[in-house]
Amino acid sequence: MNLKGEMSMLNVLHLEHTDVDAITAELQKKRDEMPQFFMQSPVVVDCNILGENVTDFDFLTLKESLLKLGFIPVGVRNIPASMNASLAKAGWAVMRESRKAYVEDNTKESSSEVNNESNKDHNTEKNNDITIKDVTNDPEQNLVEDQGLQQAVQAPRGAAMIKSLTVVKPVRSGQQIYAAESDMTVLAQTSAGSEIMADGSIHVYGALRGRVLAGAMGNESARIFCQSLQAELIAIAGRYQLLDESDTKLIGKPAMIKLSGEKLIIEPLMS
Amino acid sequence: MSKVIVVTSGKGGVGKTTSSAAFSAGLAARGHKTAVIDFDVGLRNLDLIMGVERRVIYDFVNVINGEATLKQALIKDKRVDNLYILPASQTRDKDALNKEGVESIINELKADGFEYIVCDSPAGIEKGAFMALYFADEAIVVTNPEVSSVRDSDRILGILQSRSKIAEDGGSVKEHLLITRYSPDRVEGGDMLGMDDIVEILSIPLIGVIPESGTVLQASNSGNPVIMDKESTAGQAYEDVVSRFLGEDIPLRFVDVEIKKKGFFQKIFG
Repeated sequence: MNLKGEMSMLNVLHLEHTDVDAITAELQKKRDEMPQFFMQSPVVVDCNILGENVTDFDFLTLKESLLKLGFIPVGVRNIPASMNASLAKAGWAVMRESRKAYVEDNTKESSSEVNNESNKDHNTEKNNDITIKDVTNDPEQNLVEDQGLQQAVQAPRGAAMIKSLTVVKPVRSGQQIYAAESDMTVLAQTSAGSEIMADGSIHVYGALRGRVLAGAMGNESARIFCQSLQAELIAIAGRYQLLDESDTKLIGKPAMIKLSGEKLIIEPLMS
Repeated sequence: MSKVIVVTSGKGGVGKTTSSAAFSAGLAARGHKTAVIDFDVGLRNLDLIMGVERRVIYDFVNVINGEATLKQALIKDKRVDNLYILPASQTRDKDALNKEGVESIINELKADGFEYIVCDSPAGIEKGAFMALYFADEAIVVTNPEVSSVRDSDRILGILQSRSKIAEDGGSVKEHLLITRYSPDRVEGGDMLGMDDIVEILSIPLIGVIPESGTVLQASNSGNPVIMDKESTAGQAYEDVVSRFLGEDIPLRFVDVEIKKKGFFQKIFG
Protein backbone atom coordinates (compact mmCIF):
# COMPACT_ATOMS: atom_id res chain seq x y z
CA MET A 1 0.00 0.00 0.00
CA ASN A 2 1.16 3.49 -0.76
CA LEU A 3 -0.67 6.62 0.38
CA LYS A 4 0.78 9.82 -0.98
CA GLY A 5 -0.33 13.40 -1.29
CA GLU A 6 -0.75 14.03 -4.96
CA MET A 7 -2.72 16.45 -7.02
CA SER A 8 -4.83 15.38 -9.91
CA MET A 9 -7.28 16.84 -12.38
CA LEU A 10 -10.47 18.18 -10.80
CA ASN A 11 -13.24 20.34 -12.11
CA VAL A 12 -13.75 23.43 -10.00
CA LEU A 13 -17.20 24.93 -9.79
CA HIS A 14 -16.91 28.62 -8.90
CA LEU A 15 -20.14 29.71 -7.25
CA GLU A 16 -21.20 33.22 -8.24
CA HIS A 17 -24.61 33.32 -6.53
CA THR A 18 -26.63 31.22 -4.14
CA ASP A 19 -29.46 30.21 -6.47
CA VAL A 20 -29.06 26.42 -6.55
CA ASP A 21 -31.73 25.86 -9.22
CA ALA A 22 -30.02 28.26 -11.61
CA ILE A 23 -26.66 26.63 -10.95
CA THR A 24 -28.17 23.21 -11.61
CA ALA A 25 -29.63 24.41 -14.90
CA GLU A 26 -26.29 25.85 -16.03
CA LEU A 27 -24.48 22.67 -15.08
CA GLN A 28 -26.96 20.58 -16.96
CA LYS A 29 -26.41 22.68 -20.06
CA LYS A 30 -22.63 22.32 -19.76
CA ARG A 31 -22.89 18.61 -19.19
CA ASP A 32 -25.19 18.06 -22.16
CA GLU A 33 -22.63 19.77 -24.41
CA MET A 34 -19.96 17.24 -23.47
CA PRO A 35 -21.58 14.34 -21.66
CA GLN A 36 -18.60 12.03 -22.15
CA PHE A 37 -16.23 14.55 -20.74
CA PHE A 38 -18.09 15.17 -17.51
CA MET A 39 -19.29 11.65 -16.91
CA GLN A 40 -18.38 10.68 -13.34
CA SER A 41 -15.94 13.55 -13.07
CA PRO A 42 -15.00 14.86 -9.63
CA VAL A 43 -16.03 18.41 -8.76
CA VAL A 44 -14.73 20.82 -6.16
CA VAL A 45 -16.94 23.75 -5.20
CA ASP A 46 -15.15 27.05 -4.75
CA CYS A 47 -16.94 29.72 -2.71
CA ASN A 48 -14.40 32.50 -3.00
CA ILE A 49 -16.69 34.78 -5.03
CA LEU A 50 -19.65 34.28 -2.72
CA GLY A 51 -17.76 35.70 0.23
CA GLU A 52 -19.99 36.10 3.24
CA ASN A 53 -23.09 34.93 1.33
CA VAL A 54 -21.79 31.41 1.53
CA THR A 55 -23.46 30.86 4.88
CA ASP A 56 -26.87 30.99 3.13
CA PHE A 57 -25.91 28.43 0.55
CA ASP A 58 -27.77 25.13 0.35
CA PHE A 59 -24.94 22.63 -0.04
CA LEU A 60 -27.21 19.65 0.45
CA THR A 61 -29.34 20.43 -2.62
CA LEU A 62 -26.23 21.20 -4.66
CA LYS A 63 -24.76 17.86 -3.74
CA GLU A 64 -27.92 16.05 -4.82
CA SER A 65 -28.01 17.99 -8.10
CA LEU A 66 -24.37 17.19 -8.84
CA LEU A 67 -24.92 13.50 -8.21
CA LYS A 68 -28.03 13.50 -10.34
CA LEU A 69 -26.09 15.06 -13.23
CA GLY A 70 -23.41 12.40 -13.00
CA PHE A 71 -20.71 14.45 -11.26
CA ILE A 72 -18.97 13.29 -8.12
CA PRO A 73 -18.97 16.04 -5.50
CA VAL A 74 -15.63 15.93 -3.72
CA GLY A 75 -15.07 18.98 -1.63
CA VAL A 76 -15.61 22.62 -0.85
CA ARG A 77 -13.02 25.33 -0.51
CA ASN A 78 -12.80 28.98 0.46
CA ILE A 79 -15.42 28.75 3.15
CA PRO A 80 -15.33 30.36 6.58
CA ALA A 81 -13.92 28.08 9.27
CA SER A 82 -17.21 28.18 11.12
CA MET A 83 -18.76 26.05 8.38
CA ASN A 84 -16.11 23.33 8.37
CA ALA A 85 -17.85 21.08 10.85
CA SER A 86 -21.31 21.17 9.27
CA LEU A 87 -19.95 20.55 5.77
CA ALA A 88 -17.76 17.72 6.93
CA LYS A 89 -20.80 16.18 8.51
CA ALA A 90 -22.67 16.51 5.22
CA GLY A 91 -19.94 14.45 3.55
CA TRP A 92 -17.93 17.24 1.88
CA ALA A 93 -14.19 17.39 2.11
CA VAL A 94 -13.03 20.81 3.18
CA MET A 95 -10.11 21.88 1.02
CA ARG A 96 -7.63 24.48 2.02
CA GLU A 97 -6.23 26.60 -0.72
CA SER A 98 -7.25 28.14 -3.95
CA ARG A 99 -5.19 29.20 -6.87
CA LYS A 100 -5.95 30.77 -10.15
CA ALA A 101 -6.99 28.25 -12.73
CA TYR A 102 -3.97 28.54 -14.98
CA VAL A 103 -1.42 27.98 -12.28
CA GLU A 104 -3.45 25.06 -11.09
CA ASP A 105 -3.68 23.49 -14.49
CA ASN A 106 0.04 23.67 -14.90
CA THR A 107 1.10 22.52 -11.52
CA LYS A 108 -0.75 19.29 -11.36
CA GLU A 109 1.16 16.22 -10.47
CA SER A 110 0.29 14.68 -13.74
CA SER A 111 0.77 11.55 -15.66
CA SER A 112 1.98 11.62 -19.22
CA GLU A 113 1.09 8.90 -21.53
CA VAL A 114 1.98 8.10 -25.04
CA ASN A 115 -1.06 6.95 -26.81
CA ASN A 116 -0.34 5.51 -30.15
CA GLU A 117 -2.22 2.80 -31.89
CA SER A 118 0.85 1.61 -33.65
CA ASN A 119 3.34 2.96 -31.22
CA LYS A 120 3.41 1.74 -27.69
CA ASP A 121 6.97 2.62 -27.08
CA HIS A 122 7.76 5.89 -28.74
CA ASN A 123 10.99 7.36 -27.55
CA THR A 124 10.09 9.83 -24.93
CA GLU A 125 11.72 11.28 -21.91
CA LYS A 126 9.81 12.40 -18.92
CA ASN A 127 10.94 15.47 -17.17
CA ASN A 128 10.02 16.37 -13.66
CA ASP A 129 12.33 19.27 -13.17
CA ILE A 130 10.06 22.15 -13.95
CA THR A 131 9.03 24.13 -10.95
CA ILE A 132 6.09 26.38 -10.54
CA LYS A 133 8.31 29.43 -10.94
CA ASP A 134 8.74 28.77 -14.61
CA VAL A 135 5.03 28.91 -15.02
CA THR A 136 4.52 32.17 -13.21
CA ASN A 137 7.39 33.90 -14.98
CA ASP A 138 5.06 34.69 -17.82
CA PRO A 139 4.03 38.32 -17.30
CA GLU A 140 0.52 37.53 -18.48
CA GLN A 141 0.11 35.31 -15.48
CA ASN A 142 -0.17 38.45 -13.39
CA LEU A 143 -3.87 38.02 -13.74
CA VAL A 144 -3.51 35.52 -10.96
CA GLU A 145 -5.88 36.94 -8.45
CA ASP A 146 -5.43 38.14 -4.90
CA GLN A 147 -3.24 35.96 -2.77
CA GLY A 148 -3.05 33.33 -5.46
CA LEU A 149 0.19 34.52 -7.02
CA GLN A 150 1.93 34.91 -3.72
CA GLN A 151 0.96 31.44 -2.77
CA ALA A 152 2.02 30.09 -6.08
CA VAL A 153 5.46 31.64 -6.06
CA GLN A 154 6.04 30.73 -2.47
CA ALA A 155 4.95 27.16 -2.91
CA PRO A 156 7.78 25.00 -1.72
CA ARG A 157 10.01 23.72 -4.47
CA GLY A 158 9.00 20.20 -5.35
CA ALA A 159 5.54 20.53 -3.90
CA ALA A 160 4.00 21.38 -7.20
CA MET A 161 5.94 20.04 -10.10
CA ILE A 162 4.62 19.53 -13.54
CA LYS A 163 5.49 16.81 -15.92
CA SER A 164 6.42 17.37 -19.47
CA LEU A 165 6.51 14.82 -22.22
CA THR A 166 9.56 15.12 -24.45
CA VAL A 167 9.44 13.39 -27.81
CA VAL A 168 12.88 13.07 -29.36
CA LYS A 169 12.07 11.30 -32.61
CA PRO A 170 10.01 12.41 -35.59
CA VAL A 171 6.28 11.89 -35.19
CA ARG A 172 5.43 10.08 -38.41
CA SER A 173 2.28 9.98 -40.47
CA GLY A 174 -0.35 7.84 -38.74
CA GLN A 175 1.20 8.21 -35.29
CA GLN A 176 -0.68 9.79 -32.46
CA ILE A 177 0.88 11.00 -29.24
CA TYR A 178 -1.03 12.33 -26.28
CA ALA A 179 0.50 14.00 -23.25
CA ALA A 180 -2.13 13.65 -20.54
CA GLU A 181 -2.25 16.47 -17.98
CA SER A 182 1.05 17.69 -19.24
CA ASP A 183 2.89 19.86 -21.73
CA MET A 184 4.61 18.31 -24.71
CA THR A 185 7.90 19.14 -26.37
CA VAL A 186 8.77 17.59 -29.71
CA LEU A 187 12.43 17.96 -30.66
CA ALA A 188 12.01 16.56 -34.16
CA GLN A 189 9.50 17.14 -36.92
CA THR A 190 5.89 16.01 -36.99
CA SER A 191 4.77 14.67 -40.36
CA ALA A 192 1.65 15.33 -42.35
CA GLY A 193 -0.95 12.82 -41.20
CA SER A 194 0.35 12.69 -37.62
CA GLU A 195 -1.45 13.96 -34.55
CA ILE A 196 0.00 15.37 -31.34
CA MET A 197 -2.17 16.28 -28.38
CA ALA A 198 -1.47 17.62 -24.92
CA ASP A 199 -3.62 18.83 -22.07
CA GLY A 200 -1.12 21.66 -21.70
CA SER A 201 0.96 23.58 -24.23
CA ILE A 202 2.89 22.09 -27.11
CA HIS A 203 6.35 23.05 -28.37
CA VAL A 204 7.70 21.70 -31.65
CA TYR A 205 11.29 22.37 -32.69
CA GLY A 206 11.25 20.57 -36.04
CA ALA A 207 8.79 21.34 -38.80
CA LEU A 208 5.19 21.08 -37.55
CA ARG A 209 3.27 19.41 -40.37
CA GLY A 210 0.57 17.24 -38.82
CA ARG A 211 -2.36 18.03 -36.59
CA VAL A 212 -1.66 19.73 -33.29
CA LEU A 213 -4.14 19.96 -30.42
CA ALA A 214 -3.19 21.83 -27.23
CA GLY A 215 -5.39 22.16 -24.17
CA ALA A 216 -7.09 18.93 -25.10
CA MET A 217 -9.07 18.77 -21.87
CA GLY A 218 -10.23 22.35 -22.18
CA ASN A 219 -7.33 24.42 -20.88
CA GLU A 220 -7.89 27.67 -22.76
CA SER A 221 -4.55 29.15 -21.77
CA ALA A 222 -2.63 26.36 -23.47
CA ARG A 223 -0.54 27.50 -26.42
CA ILE A 224 1.27 26.05 -29.39
CA PHE A 225 4.84 27.08 -30.19
CA CYS A 226 6.67 25.98 -33.29
CA GLN A 227 9.73 26.76 -35.38
CA SER A 228 8.12 26.09 -38.74
CA LEU A 229 4.36 26.28 -38.93
CA GLN A 230 3.10 23.92 -41.63
CA ALA A 231 0.40 22.16 -39.62
CA GLU A 232 -2.71 20.74 -41.24
CA LEU A 233 -4.94 21.58 -38.32
CA ILE A 234 -4.41 23.61 -35.17
CA ALA A 235 -6.61 23.43 -32.08
CA ILE A 236 -6.65 24.83 -28.56
CA ALA A 237 -9.28 23.78 -26.03
CA GLY A 238 -11.56 22.42 -28.73
CA ARG A 239 -11.43 25.47 -31.02
CA TYR A 240 -9.88 24.28 -34.21
CA GLN A 241 -8.89 25.67 -37.55
CA LEU A 242 -7.46 24.29 -40.76
CA LEU A 243 -4.27 26.15 -41.43
CA ASP A 244 -5.18 26.46 -45.11
CA GLU A 245 -8.30 28.35 -44.13
CA SER A 246 -6.46 30.88 -42.02
CA ASP A 247 -5.08 34.04 -43.57
CA THR A 248 -1.79 33.81 -41.70
CA LYS A 249 1.40 34.91 -43.39
CA LEU A 250 3.42 32.76 -41.01
CA ILE A 251 3.29 29.45 -42.83
CA GLY A 252 6.74 27.89 -42.68
CA LYS A 253 7.84 30.40 -40.06
CA PRO A 254 8.30 30.37 -36.29
CA ALA A 255 4.91 31.00 -34.72
CA MET A 256 2.90 30.94 -31.53
CA ILE A 257 -0.78 30.10 -31.44
CA LYS A 258 -3.04 31.14 -28.60
CA LEU A 259 -6.72 31.38 -27.92
CA SER A 260 -8.33 34.79 -27.63
CA GLY A 261 -12.00 34.44 -26.80
CA GLU A 262 -13.23 31.94 -29.37
CA LYS A 263 -10.58 32.80 -31.92
CA LEU A 264 -7.21 31.20 -32.55
CA ILE A 265 -4.54 33.85 -32.91
CA ILE A 266 -1.34 33.07 -34.81
CA GLU A 267 1.54 35.35 -33.91
CA PRO A 268 5.17 35.43 -34.97
CA LEU A 269 7.43 33.75 -32.45
CA MET A 270 10.14 36.16 -31.37
CA SER A 271 13.51 34.62 -30.98
CA MET B 1 27.82 -10.22 -37.32
CA SER B 2 24.86 -10.75 -39.58
CA LYS B 3 22.54 -7.92 -40.42
CA VAL B 4 18.85 -8.10 -41.25
CA ILE B 5 17.81 -5.44 -43.73
CA VAL B 6 14.19 -4.85 -44.67
CA VAL B 7 13.34 -3.26 -48.00
CA THR B 8 10.01 -1.58 -47.47
CA SER B 9 7.88 1.35 -48.64
CA GLY B 10 4.25 1.19 -47.59
CA LYS B 11 3.08 1.86 -51.12
CA GLY B 12 3.00 -0.78 -53.80
CA GLY B 13 4.74 -0.68 -57.15
CA VAL B 14 7.55 1.63 -56.14
CA GLY B 15 10.34 -0.88 -56.70
CA LYS B 16 10.78 -2.83 -53.48
CA THR B 17 11.31 -6.19 -55.14
CA THR B 18 13.49 -4.75 -57.91
CA SER B 19 15.59 -3.03 -55.24
CA SER B 20 15.74 -6.13 -53.02
CA ALA B 21 16.94 -8.21 -55.95
CA ALA B 22 19.53 -5.65 -57.08
CA PHE B 23 20.75 -4.89 -53.57
CA SER B 24 21.16 -8.51 -52.49
CA ALA B 25 22.82 -9.46 -55.80
CA GLY B 26 25.17 -6.50 -55.37
CA LEU B 27 26.13 -7.52 -51.83
CA ALA B 28 26.69 -11.13 -52.90
CA ALA B 29 28.77 -10.08 -55.92
CA ARG B 30 31.14 -8.34 -53.51
CA GLY B 31 31.69 -11.57 -51.66
CA HIS B 32 29.14 -11.28 -48.86
CA LYS B 33 27.01 -14.32 -48.20
CA THR B 34 23.50 -12.99 -48.68
CA ALA B 35 19.98 -14.37 -48.46
CA VAL B 36 16.96 -12.57 -49.81
CA ILE B 37 13.53 -13.53 -48.46
CA ASP B 38 10.26 -12.81 -50.22
CA PHE B 39 7.68 -11.84 -47.57
CA ASP B 40 4.94 -11.25 -50.12
CA VAL B 41 3.13 -14.51 -49.38
CA GLY B 42 0.38 -15.03 -51.95
CA LEU B 43 1.83 -12.56 -54.45
CA ARG B 44 5.19 -14.18 -55.03
CA ASN B 45 7.31 -11.96 -57.28
CA LEU B 46 10.91 -12.01 -56.15
CA ASP B 47 11.55 -15.38 -57.79
CA LEU B 48 10.48 -13.90 -61.15
CA ILE B 49 12.71 -10.86 -60.83
CA MET B 50 15.58 -13.15 -59.82
CA GLY B 51 14.83 -15.55 -62.65
CA VAL B 52 14.40 -18.60 -60.42
CA GLU B 53 10.66 -19.13 -60.73
CA ARG B 54 11.08 -22.55 -62.31
CA ARG B 55 13.35 -23.74 -59.55
CA VAL B 56 10.94 -23.23 -56.62
CA ILE B 57 10.16 -26.50 -54.86
CA TYR B 58 9.63 -25.49 -51.26
CA ASP B 59 8.92 -22.02 -49.96
CA PHE B 60 9.06 -19.79 -46.90
CA VAL B 61 5.74 -21.03 -45.50
CA ASN B 62 6.74 -24.68 -45.93
CA VAL B 63 9.78 -23.99 -43.77
CA ILE B 64 7.75 -22.12 -41.13
CA ASN B 65 5.32 -25.04 -40.96
CA GLY B 66 8.13 -27.56 -40.73
CA GLU B 67 7.19 -29.20 -44.06
CA ALA B 68 10.66 -28.59 -45.45
CA THR B 69 14.06 -27.66 -44.11
CA LEU B 70 15.55 -24.24 -44.78
CA LYS B 71 18.27 -25.89 -46.84
CA GLN B 72 15.67 -27.49 -49.12
CA ALA B 73 13.83 -24.22 -49.65
CA LEU B 74 16.80 -21.92 -50.26
CA ILE B 75 17.56 -21.50 -53.95
CA LYS B 76 21.19 -20.87 -54.81
CA ASP B 77 21.64 -18.28 -57.53
CA LYS B 78 23.44 -19.59 -60.59
CA ARG B 79 24.98 -16.29 -61.66
CA VAL B 80 26.32 -14.95 -58.38
CA ASP B 81 28.04 -17.01 -55.72
CA ASN B 82 26.97 -16.32 -52.15
CA LEU B 83 23.42 -15.41 -53.17
CA TYR B 84 20.44 -17.43 -51.95
CA ILE B 85 16.75 -16.81 -52.48
CA LEU B 86 13.96 -17.91 -50.16
CA PRO B 87 10.76 -17.65 -52.20
CA ALA B 88 7.31 -16.87 -50.83
CA SER B 89 4.40 -19.22 -51.12
CA GLN B 90 1.98 -18.42 -53.91
CA THR B 91 -0.86 -20.57 -52.61
CA ARG B 92 -1.08 -19.22 -49.08
CA ASP B 93 -1.70 -15.82 -47.56
CA LYS B 94 0.02 -13.58 -45.04
CA ASP B 95 -1.67 -15.26 -42.10
CA ALA B 96 0.67 -18.19 -42.66
CA LEU B 97 3.47 -16.00 -41.27
CA ASN B 98 4.15 -15.78 -37.55
CA LYS B 99 6.83 -14.16 -35.45
CA GLU B 100 8.22 -17.39 -34.03
CA GLY B 101 8.51 -19.00 -37.47
CA VAL B 102 10.17 -15.96 -39.04
CA GLU B 103 12.52 -15.61 -36.10
CA SER B 104 13.64 -19.22 -36.26
CA ILE B 105 14.37 -18.90 -39.98
CA ILE B 106 16.35 -15.70 -39.50
CA ASN B 107 18.30 -17.27 -36.64
CA GLU B 108 19.03 -20.33 -38.72
CA LEU B 109 20.31 -18.15 -41.57
CA LYS B 110 22.52 -16.26 -39.13
CA ALA B 111 23.86 -19.53 -37.75
CA ASP B 112 24.58 -20.66 -41.31
CA GLY B 113 26.95 -17.74 -41.72
CA PHE B 114 24.81 -15.42 -43.80
CA GLU B 115 26.20 -11.90 -43.45
CA TYR B 116 23.18 -10.13 -44.87
CA ILE B 117 19.56 -11.19 -44.75
CA VAL B 118 17.46 -8.99 -47.01
CA CYS B 119 13.71 -9.04 -46.34
CA ASP B 120 11.61 -8.00 -49.33
CA SER B 121 8.48 -6.54 -47.77
CA PRO B 122 5.03 -6.63 -49.36
CA ALA B 123 3.16 -3.35 -49.80
CA GLY B 124 0.78 -2.13 -47.13
CA ILE B 125 1.11 -2.00 -43.37
CA GLU B 126 -0.56 -5.31 -42.62
CA LYS B 127 0.82 -8.55 -41.34
CA GLY B 128 3.20 -9.33 -44.20
CA ALA B 129 4.88 -5.92 -44.05
CA PHE B 130 4.97 -6.08 -40.27
CA MET B 131 6.60 -9.51 -40.27
CA ALA B 132 9.19 -8.34 -42.82
CA LEU B 133 10.26 -5.41 -40.69
CA TYR B 134 9.91 -6.89 -37.21
CA PHE B 135 13.39 -8.40 -36.99
CA ALA B 136 15.19 -5.73 -39.04
CA ASP B 137 18.41 -4.05 -37.91
CA GLU B 138 18.36 -1.65 -40.82
CA ALA B 139 15.72 -0.53 -43.29
CA ILE B 140 15.88 0.65 -46.86
CA VAL B 141 12.77 2.72 -47.43
CA VAL B 142 11.96 2.86 -51.13
CA THR B 143 10.16 5.98 -52.28
CA ASN B 144 9.06 7.33 -55.65
CA PRO B 145 9.16 11.07 -56.23
CA GLU B 146 5.46 11.64 -55.71
CA VAL B 147 3.45 12.72 -52.68
CA SER B 148 1.48 9.57 -51.91
CA SER B 149 4.58 7.42 -51.99
CA VAL B 150 6.40 9.84 -49.67
CA ARG B 151 3.44 9.90 -47.28
CA ASP B 152 3.30 6.10 -47.15
CA SER B 153 7.03 5.90 -46.54
CA ASP B 154 6.61 8.29 -43.66
CA ARG B 155 3.96 6.00 -42.21
CA ILE B 156 6.15 2.93 -42.52
CA LEU B 157 9.02 4.81 -40.83
CA GLY B 158 6.74 5.40 -37.87
CA ILE B 159 5.90 1.71 -37.69
CA LEU B 160 9.56 0.76 -37.99
CA GLN B 161 10.55 2.94 -35.08
CA SER B 162 7.74 1.78 -32.85
CA ARG B 163 6.79 -1.79 -33.64
CA SER B 164 9.99 -3.47 -34.74
CA LYS B 165 11.77 -5.70 -32.26
CA ILE B 166 14.66 -3.28 -31.88
CA ALA B 167 12.25 -0.44 -31.13
CA GLU B 168 10.39 -2.58 -28.60
CA ASP B 169 13.71 -3.20 -26.91
CA GLY B 170 14.35 0.53 -26.77
CA GLY B 171 16.70 0.87 -29.74
CA SER B 172 16.15 2.22 -33.20
CA VAL B 173 16.33 0.74 -36.67
CA LYS B 174 18.92 2.40 -38.92
CA GLU B 175 17.08 4.07 -41.78
CA HIS B 176 18.15 4.58 -45.38
CA LEU B 177 16.16 6.42 -48.01
CA LEU B 178 16.24 5.04 -51.54
CA ILE B 179 14.51 7.12 -54.20
CA THR B 180 13.62 5.12 -57.29
CA ARG B 181 12.13 5.99 -60.69
CA TYR B 182 13.73 9.42 -60.50
CA SER B 183 13.56 11.54 -63.56
CA PRO B 184 15.60 14.78 -63.34
CA ASP B 185 13.83 16.19 -66.41
CA ARG B 186 10.43 15.84 -64.84
CA VAL B 187 11.68 17.26 -61.55
CA GLU B 188 12.98 20.26 -63.48
CA GLY B 189 9.59 20.57 -65.16
CA GLY B 190 7.86 20.50 -61.79
CA ASP B 191 5.97 17.23 -62.41
CA MET B 192 7.92 15.32 -59.80
CA LEU B 193 9.10 16.02 -56.29
CA GLY B 194 12.81 16.80 -56.16
CA MET B 195 15.08 14.61 -54.08
CA ASP B 196 15.85 17.50 -51.72
CA ASP B 197 12.15 17.89 -50.99
CA ILE B 198 11.77 14.19 -50.28
CA VAL B 199 14.77 14.18 -47.94
CA GLU B 200 13.38 17.26 -46.24
CA ILE B 201 9.97 15.66 -45.70
CA LEU B 202 11.24 12.29 -44.47
CA SER B 203 14.43 13.58 -42.83
CA ILE B 204 16.37 10.33 -43.04
CA PRO B 205 19.75 9.80 -44.75
CA LEU B 206 19.70 9.22 -48.50
CA ILE B 207 21.45 6.05 -49.66
CA GLY B 208 20.81 6.47 -53.34
CA VAL B 209 18.73 7.73 -56.23
CA ILE B 210 17.84 5.30 -59.01
CA PRO B 211 17.01 7.03 -62.29
CA GLU B 212 13.93 6.01 -64.25
CA SER B 213 15.23 3.62 -66.86
CA GLY B 214 13.78 1.25 -69.42
CA THR B 215 16.42 -1.30 -68.56
CA VAL B 216 14.73 -1.93 -65.20
CA LEU B 217 11.65 -3.32 -66.91
CA GLN B 218 13.73 -5.35 -69.36
CA ALA B 219 15.82 -6.74 -66.53
CA SER B 220 12.71 -7.69 -64.54
CA ASN B 221 11.10 -9.41 -67.49
CA SER B 222 14.23 -11.38 -68.24
CA GLY B 223 14.77 -12.34 -64.60
CA ASN B 224 18.12 -10.62 -64.21
CA PRO B 225 18.62 -8.22 -61.31
CA VAL B 226 19.22 -4.83 -62.94
CA ILE B 227 22.47 -4.39 -61.03
CA MET B 228 23.99 -7.03 -63.33
CA ASP B 229 23.52 -4.69 -66.28
CA LYS B 230 26.70 -2.67 -65.92
CA GLU B 231 25.78 -0.44 -68.86
CA SER B 232 22.49 0.85 -67.55
CA THR B 233 22.27 3.96 -65.38
CA ALA B 234 19.93 2.17 -62.98
CA GLY B 235 22.37 -0.73 -62.60
CA GLN B 236 25.21 1.67 -61.86
CA ALA B 237 23.09 3.61 -59.39
CA TYR B 238 22.31 0.36 -57.52
CA GLU B 239 26.05 -0.41 -57.44
CA ASP B 240 26.53 2.96 -55.77
CA VAL B 241 23.81 2.10 -53.24
CA VAL B 242 25.64 -1.10 -52.31
CA SER B 243 28.92 0.82 -51.99
CA ARG B 244 27.33 3.41 -49.74
CA PHE B 245 25.68 0.72 -47.66
CA LEU B 246 29.11 -0.86 -47.16
CA GLY B 247 30.46 2.45 -45.93
CA GLU B 248 31.94 4.16 -49.00
CA ASP B 249 31.33 7.86 -49.46
CA ILE B 250 30.59 8.45 -53.13
CA PRO B 251 28.73 11.26 -54.85
CA LEU B 252 25.24 10.86 -56.29
CA ARG B 253 24.98 10.22 -60.01
CA PHE B 254 22.19 10.62 -62.56
CA VAL B 255 20.34 13.24 -60.53
CA ASP B 256 20.90 16.29 -62.72
CA VAL B 257 19.37 17.10 -66.05
CA GLU B 258 21.80 16.07 -68.74
CA ILE B 259 23.02 18.94 -70.80
CA LYS B 260 22.51 17.78 -74.32
CA LYS B 261 25.13 19.25 -76.57
CA LYS B 262 23.68 20.43 -79.79
CA GLY B 263 25.46 19.52 -82.97
CA PHE B 264 26.83 22.10 -85.34
CA PHE B 265 23.88 21.88 -87.72
CA GLN B 266 21.36 21.93 -84.92
CA LYS B 267 22.95 25.13 -83.67
CA ILE B 268 22.48 26.73 -87.04
CA PHE B 269 19.05 25.37 -87.89
CA GLY B 270 17.77 24.37 -84.48
